[in-house]
Amino acid sequence: MEKLSKEEVLHVARLARIAVSEDEIEKYQISLKQLLDDVEKIKDINDISEDVLVTPAFEGCKLRSDDEVDTTDFSKFKSNIPHSVGDFIEVPVMINE
Amino acid sequence: MSNYKKTVGIEVHCELKTKTKMFSNTLNNYGAKENSQVNTIDLAYPGSLPLVNKGAINLALKAALILNCKINKLVCFDRKNYFYPDLPKGYQITQARHPIGVDGYVMINVGGIDKKVRIHDIHIEEDTAKSIHQTDKSYLDFNRSGVPLIEIVTEADMHTEEEAMAYLTKLRELFVYADISDCKMEEGSMRCDVNVSISKDDTLGVRTETKNIGSISSVGKAITAESIRQEEILENGGVIVEETRRFDEKDCKTILMRVKETGNDYRYFPEPNIPEFEITDDEINSVKSEIPKLPDELRSEYRTLGVNENNIKTLISNRELCSFFEKVKEFDPIITSNLITGDILSYLNKNNLSLKDIKLNEDNLKELVKKIKNSEISSKQVKTLLPILMEKGGNVEDIMKEHGMVQISDDSALQTIVDKVISTNPESVNDYKNGKDRALKYLMGQIMKESRGQANPVTVNKLLIETLNK
Repeated sequence: MEKLSKEEVLHVARLARIAVSEDEIEKYQISLKQLLDDVEKIKDINDISEDVLVTPAFEGCKLRSDDEVDTTDFSKFKSNIPHSVGDFIEVPVMINE
Repeated sequence: MSNYKKTVGIEVHCELKTKTKMFSNTLNNYGAKENSQVNTIDLAYPGSLPLVNKGAINLALKAALILNCKINKLVCFDRKNYFYPDLPKGYQITQARHPIGVDGYVMINVGGIDKKVRIHDIHIEEDTAKSIHQTDKSYLDFNRSGVPLIEIVTEADMHTEEEAMAYLTKLRELFVYADISDCKMEEGSMRCDVNVSISKDDTLGVRTETKNIGSISSVGKAITAESIRQEEILENGGVIVEETRRFDEKDCKTILMRVKETGNDYRYFPEPNIPEFEITDDEINSVKSEIPKLPDELRSEYRTLGVNENNIKTLISNRELCSFFEKVKEFDPIITSNLITGDILSYLNKNNLSLKDIKLNEDNLKELVKKIKNSEISSKQVKTLLPILMEKGGNVEDIMKEHGMVQISDDSALQTIVDKVISTNPESVNDYKNGKDRALKYLMGQIMKESRGQANPVTVNKLLIETLNK
């Protein structure tokens, strides 16, 4: 069965900022290829007009006035945040990758 | 001297001066307590939907018009996909297919030579959260998440550090005067990424992008450092790799951040949650009508009014002073500009104040200028009066009376003082008669002293010469 190269899997993993083990690389070489093959099937649809359908909503875009202000109390979000220091959200260090 | 020619293109991100964010109605409020200006959209909660801020669209449109761009009336947005903790929804909403403005230009002047820097495009996007990095953790503040940005991308038209700095200075000037952005690099409301390549001929070399440059002067230093680095590599037989670097201010060198992600890696696609819409001609005309006089027009106008180049430079570089000057200049622009860029600015700088902190206003400054023009107050008295006016405010006439500054313009009263000074200074009178001009200045000084600075200098000068020549 055709599969992605190891480098392609690692490139996708890097873009997603996830670590993958050697075992997982082998698995994703196959499963990601299956996914891409399914996406390729879209090309078989003949009825694609030149205009890209971005949204099925035809009511146009409702713009908001810059004067409408509404802020939510941050404490309401805190229970969903695994780690925080004061009101800062703490995450693993993300520089020098 | 290097055999290599530098080529520079610049990408500038400017935060728009809106009240609320680009796609959510939380406040765009720099300096607020961390994570106090957030809602579900800023925090990328599933199911939350963006709602476009009309004010941000208008400011971006204004910027595109000022930069002489062709306007894309069809406004639509795209997703730029990448994952980072400061962008939890996994994509940034931007304009990849139809930037609001394309094919513009900015005129700069370096060493007396005008040059056109072409603008490839200007597009609207949203800012990410702000990150503070520690050794093993990063800390996020989502107040910045969703702040409206415009990114201005130039063509690779600049070839020297001076041209790059002149372009950025001009861009900042334009946006500050048009009230589009604060453009404070120290606060991050203006951020520059500089693309640099070098080549021995007219072909373009491989470029690198240097990010996070903290000031316009540092942009010049970063271009120098990066072009030297590239030259060393090429001279040693190496090849330049397309990569993202950052500028280390301390060591004055660029440091590798990462090998660049390519356009494909971002998997751009149309943003399905924001239907496209059109900007009408009426809306464009309305925004055009809001564009105030811009620095080049002001410079030219001030030159015509006779204001000297130093004063023009000082006024244009300080928008607050310049706006004040605009309101008060009509009576005598030269005297007014001298006062504003001289004693007034010096007082503000010395006391670390801005115009809004002092009591000087349009009316009392105009009154003062009128008195100076009519020689009703001496320059020495102005130096005493101005600090009082700035500190306490009030009416110029009243302050002059209160501090004994009302001038003696009555000829007979002044003649008495002139006669007295002439009779008590025979040597100076002789010196004057023997052609020594300095003696006249001395006698003038004595008269001013005798009148405790209250003699009208123009009248005194006239009376003194007449009396001496009798």
